[in-house]
Amino acid sequence: MADTGDGKKRLPSQENLLLDYVRRLEKHKAGRKVVHLHLSGLRPFNRRDQHIRTAAGNFEPLIGDMTGQLFILKNADLFFVYKGDAQPQVETIVQKIRFLFDDDPLVAEEDKQPLPFASWHDADKDYESILKMAQSYADAEEKRQTAVRSRMDARAALRAKQQQGEPLTPEVLARVETALERADLSNLVRRQFICSVDAKMVPEQHFSELFISIKDLRETLLPGVNLVANRWLFQHLTETLDRRMLSMLTKTDGASISGEISFNVNVATLLSKDFQIFDDNIAASRRGQMIIELQKEDIFSNLSSYLFAREFVQDKGYRVCLDGMALDSIQLINRKRLGIDLTKLIWNPELVDDGDEVHEMLANLTREEGEGRLILTRCDNREAIDFGKSIGISLFQGRYVESLIAEDNRRRELLRLKRRIERS
Amino acid sequence: MADWGVATTSMGSGDADTTEESLLLDRLNRIQNNAIGYFAVHVHLSALRPNNKQQHFIDIAARTFDTLIDSADATLFSLTNKDLVLICREVPVDDVDSIMEKVRGLFSEDPLTEMDEDSFEDQFSTWYDLSNREDFADFFGVITELAVEAEQKLKELAQQRDQEKQLGDPLRPGNLAGINQKLAGMRVADMIKRQACLQVRTGGGGELIFYELFISMAEVRERVAPEINLFASPWLFQYLTETLDRRLLAVLVEEEFDELQDPLSINLNVSTVLSRDFQNLHRAVGANAHKVVIEFQIIDIFADLKSYSYARDSLQERGYRVVVDGLNPLSLSYFEPAGLRSDFIKIAWGPEFTGDEEDRRVQEMREVIAAAGKDSMILGRVDSEKAVKWGLGLGVSRFQGFFIDKLAQVIGRGRQPAAKKAAS
Repeated sequence: MADTGDGKKRLPSQENLLLDYVRRLEKHKAGRKVVHLHLSGLRPFNRRDQHIRTAAGNFEPLIGDMTGQLFILKNADLFFVYKGDAQPQVETIVQKIRFLFDDDPLVAEEDKQPLPFASWHDADKDYESILKMAQSYADAEEKRQTAVRSRMDARAALRAKQQQGEPLTPEVLARVETALERADLSNLVRRQFICSVDAKMVPEQHFSELFISIKDLRETLLPGVNLVANRWLFQHLTETLDRRMLSMLTKTDGASISGEISFNVNVATLLSKDFQIFDDNIAASRRGQMIIELQKEDIFSNLSSYLFAREFVQDKGYRVCLDGMALDSIQLINRKRLGIDLTKLIWNPELVDDGDEVHEMLANLTREEGEGRLILTRCDNREAIDFGKSIGISLFQGRYVESLIAEDNRRRELLRLKRRIERS
Repeated sequence: MADWGVATTSMGSGDADTTEESLLLDRLNRIQNNAIGYFAVHVHLSALRPNNKQQHFIDIAARTFDTLIDSADATLFSLTNKDLVLICREVPVDDVDSIMEKVRGLFSEDPLTEMDEDSFEDQFSTWYDLSNREDFADFFGVITELAVEAEQKLKELAQQRDQEKQLGDPLRPGNLAGINQKLAGMRVADMIKRQACLQVRTGGGGELIFYELFISMAEVRERVAPEINLFASPWLFQYLTETLDRRLLAVLVEEEFDELQDPLSINLNVSTVLSRDFQNLHRAVGANAHKVVIEFQIIDIFADLKSYSYARDSLQERGYRVVVDGLNPLSLSYFEPAGLRSDFIKIAWGPEFTGDEEDRRVQEMREVIAAAGKDSMILGRVDSEKAVKWGLGLGVSRFQGFFIDKLAQVIGRGRQPAAKKAAS
């Protein structure tokens, strides 16, 4: 298995661990005992997490010296398997736990309950019934997980439909793509600046990304349809959008696309006639000011096409940017080997919570990458900028950066007014 | 992917008089008596690995010469076998060199472009000084031979084009809807094929890891869309696989997993594993999850790493094993496959690796495979003993493919594998 020894892997449920343990116990059952505390019978307000944790904590010393093994089940029951000669200590512990809950009916009116507070078993004699019990807990947990997942499945789909509209179907996609071939999309093109930000939060523009606003496209063309509902149909749609973007970039010259710009395309588009026409029609000097953004799934769907296309465009002077990286993917993908010039890391508040180890990893990565090659995108608050700076990132993009630019423009405007007033 | 028409203009008709080779011979005849200042560069693109020999790559390579042809006395011939020939008169060698470097750069991943420091031989290109009688005669001989080959090749190409025509119209959003609908209502049980994955020991013999069950796309196409090329768009094909997943699951839920003797493996989308259809399968599988292997495509994984991680954890936790599929040996060095924490990584063997006798490349590949974890590696699409030897030489011991199926029969598993039931 590729992940042996990796502590980060999600833990199996306690129910499964218990079942596994009981199965292995068969060979060592002589002299072992089991006590089962039916804490699931406690009143709900007495079996909150912290209560159960406190109760379980009492077993710590016996777990520490390898006398026994504790399982805390989802229904709050505790299952303790131990060596028989520790019987007196275990009885003391169970007594202590009883005291914790002595005003709960489970203890106070034990004789009226369907189940006792604790049931004691001899692993050797009762092995079969213990195994059966463990099995039934594992089965129940399995069922619970399945039920949760299936509820989430339907619920998530329903919510997505209500919020974002009917999912895109092939029929609708065909209609959209036909409409797109003719539609004028220039009013749907949006521009976001990639900036460095100084200590006073004043932004300095480095280049801008041009993109077609999917939200506005949807509202213009297809109100009520969720264009991104199916990843693959959407990806196909982007190939049409690529062509439209290229033809707009070919036509528009001067003002609206001044300065260095970046835009997203598919690898297939770079190898198509449309790109060739675009490339033939822009000034050679302009290529050095253009950055081509690519997605990882597109790159890895046909690696040899990507390698060829990258060499082709870089040789012409374009730069290549890997878009849409997150913490997991940025560690996985060898960007140096891929010959990437720039990388965009998506901001996510979880990055801050991920701890020193992750911060250090990202700081190293930023340093290795080299000055100005890593961009933190989707920065929608100041925390993003502060975090980015703390790990050495100097370029930022997103709504918050746009607001800084607007603020900076206002400030300059005021300054100009002020100067004019002073002069007059 | 957009294809730039059918190869070069020369292949429009099968007429031997208008092939690029015959045009080139004409040209040579004309300059024969006054060849002063003439030279030829023969670029051996025909020797590229099949992956790198795609027509749109060759077209882009040919276009790299455009600036030279526009500005100097130079002509480019695109030969039928994909070689390029440049005929120049009084052009500075340095000017040609700089273009040649660009072309070489385009194929920098191909062993053909590797320069051997110790030798004067360059396998990528050959230069001829046409004013030198010997060089002229050599070159004329080479081209004459290629002209003969070209005629033969053109005939084959004409046949191939007919076959390509049989591939049919590309899959498009417009025809996707109908095909998808047909698939959704189709019973696929009789189209399920299986392939053995074996652990091969150097001493001979092998042990079955699992049988992969898959729906034969050739048969699907035959039945639902004989006129359509289902693989024309990777994204739309991926969309179809979501429907195929559900059809396959509908068959598998009928399986008696308690009686299943050999583990089976199926290809699914991550989204399918997180859906209700998979929960139905899981119910049928019950306590036999260890007999079921789930394979994911790298394109699907990279499209949403978070969902993949979640699906993988939930599968592994329940006892299923997970395979990362859709890789080739080349792609292993562009990301860290071990980071995907799957149980197995499947890489596809291709004829392009047969040439890898060079120690340095083999060594490099061995390191890549060792880093990715050779114990988790499966070499797929194994069609010859050569492939097995290649794999064993790199430390891989699990294999799958036509050749392995034969081997599995020879090893003679007398009993009827239970997995076959799903296929019959």
